Amino acid sequence: MKNLTGNKIRLGVFVSISLALFIAAIYFIGERQQLFNKTFRTSAVFKDISGLQVGNNVRFSGINVGIIEGIEQITDSTVKVDMVIDEHTRRFIKKNATAIIGSDGLMGNKIVILIPGKVGSTELSDNDIIGSTQPINIDDILLKIKLTSDNAALITANLSVIIESIRNGKGTIGKLVMDTVLAENVEKALINIKQGAGGFKQNMDAAGHNIFLRGFIKKKKEEQDKKAGK
Amino acid sequence: MASDIETKTDSKEEKPAANIQSPYFKNVRGFFEGVTLGTRFSFRFFREIIRPRYEFNEFLKQSYLIGYRSLPLVAITGFIMGLVLTIQSRPTLAEFGAESWLPAMVAVSIVREMGPVITALIFAGKVGSGIGAEIASMKVTEQVDAMEVSGINPFKYIVVTRILAATIMLPLLVIAADAVSIYGSYIGVNLKGTVSFHLFFLQVFQALSFSDVFPATIKTFFFGFTVGLIGCYYGYNSNTGTEGVGKAANSSVVFGSLAIFIIDMIAVQLTSIFN
Repeated sequence: MKNLTGNKIRLGVFVSISLALFIAAIYFIGERQQLFNKTFRTSAVFKDISGLQVGNNVRFSGINVGIIEGIEQITDSTVKVDMVIDEHTRRFIKKNATAIIGSDGLMGNKIVILIPGKVGSTELSDNDIIGSTQPINIDDILLKIKLTSDNAALITANLSVIIESIRNGKGTIGKLVMDTVLAENVEKALINIKQGAGGFKQNMDAAGHNIFLRGFIKKKKEEQDKKAGK
Repeated sequence: MASDIETKTDSKEEKPAANIQSPYFKNVRGFFEGVTLGTRFSFRFFREIIRPRYEFNEFLKQSYLIGYRSLPLVAITGFIMGLVLTIQSRPTLAEFGAESWLPAMVAVSIVREMGPVITALIFAGKVGSGIGAEIASMKVTEQVDAMEVSGINPFKYIVVTRILAATIMLPLLVIAADAVSIYGSYIGVNLKGTVSFHLFFLQVFQALSFSDVFPATIKTFFFGFTVGLIGCYYGYNSNTGTEGVGKAANSSVVFGSLAIFIIDMIAVQLTSIFN
């Protein structure tokens, strides 16, 4: 008889502990979903919610303060997101606060981030609609990256053609860089110019001693000296 | 032309008739007979459960034997399950630098699937076979007949109490196994790192939602009911003789385990539809 009573007590303890664990789990999950806290409701309207779902977190100053309670498509380009927010946070969230859709980490769930409004504005009332900032859509970023990469591909393709032409000695730069005959000719021309300049100097010196030109050259020299004297 | 028709008719007549004594037909017939008897057995359970007299003391005794006595086995298995799942998952998550997701991932896996299914399988192995073998031996030793003679409804006393105890005790065992398993996961996380219990606890409940807990808990009632029902069915309908006892125990475990997977598959499909 004693044993039977002991068994019943043990069974009762087991059942009670298991039920207590279950109720505790329900309580903690419910608390996270703001089921047992005093809350207030607010909404924001977005053009694109980027996969935000009912039950996702609402974050304010990096703290989870609420959850998404409902998502409703209002028109073809606007979606209304209803949020349930902890009452204790109300005094910090002003009427001119804005909501933005962000992401919890690189691979995490979508969240709504509340950006506090300017100081001096009144605090939010129940069912107020706050402003929203369109989230940076990953598809838009990918589109821009694609455009940039397409342009880069085009530029590199053109550069490749130009470099190929230069390597083949086509065009002015190609001839200048790759044509060895042209380089030799240029070198020869420079030598000729140097030699010509030397001959010209000698001629001019000889002309300075010529009886017909001496006066003219002297006069020019004096004018040059005068200008230099100034 | 007429001779052609005659020939065809003859060939039809010559075709051998299906042998209903062949093993194939015996198996098919046995399967459908089993379905009919099983369904009748379940209906009888529901009929007997609402009719007085209620065997409350026997129900408590069976709850103690089925529930409380299975707790150590279920708790050890749950602890190892949580620990091993955490240790095995860590390297893969570490590759992505997502080790901080370990508590959340393990908690969701345990609560949604691993906890209920593994606990139910262990339950089918321990309790299902026990019920099958016990009732079959009662039948062999003519205790069931003796009960009927002494004016006790054996179905109500033996079957109803066991099925009811199994149905109610398994969900409680699963809750205990989940809790121990999550604690095992906490130990596993701290084997190669340091996470405070508070942070671990927060991360676990951050990941869990009602849609994880309620469907998982509801399906455990079905697991428990099925294990109890199959164990009682095979025990109650066993052949006389020691061979029948072994067969009843074996069939209870095999069909009980199979039924758990089938119910789990249906439960997952239903949950995904409602989600």
